Amino acid sequence: MTKGNHINDEERALERLKDILLKKDRAELEEIRSILHSQEKLTEKVKPILLDHFEFFKENFSHEYESIINELIDKKLKQSEQELLDLIYPSLGKMISKYVTLQMTTLKESIESTVKSKFSFGRSIKSFFTGVKESDLIIANANVSTVEEVYLIQRDSGILLASASNNESMDKDVVAGMLTAIKSFVEDAFNKDAQDLEMIEYGSYKIIIRSYYSFYIAMAISGALSSTEQNNLAENIDTFASNELKSFKGRYESSSAEISKLLEHQFIV
Amino acid sequence: MISKKVILTGSFGVGKTSIFNQFLFQKFSDKYLTTIGVKVNKKTVEAKGQEVSLLVWDIAGEVTQDKVPTSYFLGASGIIYVMDLSRPLTFEKLDSDIAYLEELLPGAAIKIVGNKKDLLSKEELLEAQQNISKKLDAITSAKTGENIPDLFLNLAEELV
Ligand SMILES: Nc1nc2c(ncn2[C@@H]2O[C@H](COP(=O)(O)OP(=O)(O)OP(=O)(O)O)[C@@H](O)[C@H]2O)c(=O)[nH]1
Ligand SMILES: [Mg+2]
Repeated sequence: MTKGNHINDEERALERLKDILLKKDRAELEEIRSILHSQEKLTEKVKPILLDHFEFFKENFSHEYESIINELIDKKLKQSEQELLDLIYPSLGKMISKYVTLQMTTLKESIESTVKSKFSFGRSIKSFFTGVKESDLIIANANVSTVEEVYLIQRDSGILLASASNNESMDKDVVAGMLTAIKSFVEDAFNKDAQDLEMIEYGSYKIIIRSYYSFYIAMAISGALSSTEQNNLAENIDTFASNELKSFKGRYESSSAEISKLLEHQFIV
Repeated sequence: MISKKVILTGSFGVGKTSIFNQFLFQKFSDKYLTTIGVKVNKKTVEAKGQEVSLLVWDIAGEVTQDKVPTSYFLGASGIIYVMDLSRPLTFEKLDSDIAYLEELLPGAAIKIVGNKKDLLSKEELLEAQQNISKKLDAITSAKTGENIPDLFLNLAEELV
């Protein structure tokens, strides 16, 4: 009992001593607590510090964080590699195929001219030695398809710039317009990756279409057409467009008659 | 000879095809054969002493112009926007349609046309005009042919 009282007394004394000694500290603690718990007071205290930091950030951001951000970008790029490829691929593919086609044409022409200069003494010998010409000859002999018409058409408006034809058919201006309307429609409706319409088939008629920047060339062919022939024709059209039409750049409309003659000479007769 | 691309557009059934047929063949039919896609037609006229070949794209009517495939408009020099004077619904979108076309084809000549004049009395015509937010460039009837040749000639003059 006594012992218990004694302890109690001691505790009380200690408590009083604490009160006396820590009074100031406690008051301070109380104030800090009140600041911490009141949003307003806290903001008031913290704001200047934060502002200082922001200021520092503004001035030193790029310097301090450049490497981290670069790393992030690298990572993001790696992750979306597929997406990027999907974006770039369609046009890249087109560019490559155009380039390859052109290079192949050039190569073929250079082979042919070499062959010509070396073996100019007869077609049979030529084909015997090269093999290349022979297959061409076979195709040429078996050729039952005919180019019926060729059109040079302004790409946007569908206005006919020049044309050549095997037979006097319907109004060529209207055909050019309708072709362009069909082409626009198909390209608008089905086009997922900016491809141009390249071929229309109607019964035994085929229309090969080659699109360029400001114009396109459409060629109507009747009769059987092998895929090799088709590719050859497409190549011929490309070559014509890049070689023969170059000098008319920007004045196709006013040179209509001249270009029409070229088209006829190149493709019809 | 110069060629110009002209678009005949507007809501469906307003008489676009009839207007062109009247212009080209001086013929009219009561039958309604709605245009599917586009029909391209040609007529050569003389404007300012010069032969102009008008390539007219008669396109399928749409309730608003932004529904028409934009590629149809590419390279057009003139637009004929047709409304049916007897159907107020067909001039409701006039303002937004014209704004849209002007943005799509800056510099193109636009003719705003009220058609089917023959179906309206004088009073009805006045009332219709009051309800149309823009001034009409032509009031036509594809049935009687009234004002049809002038519409195309005026446009051709503007294009050369
Ligand atoms: N009374 C009268 N009827 C007209 C006139 N113009 C057109 N129509 C009739 O209106 C209907 C529609 O005419 P279309 O010329 O086919 O209309 P559209 O604008 O070409 O229609 P879509 O091709 O569907 O966009 C037809 O039944 C025509 O006979 C007109 O001036 N007067
Ligand atoms: Mg129509």
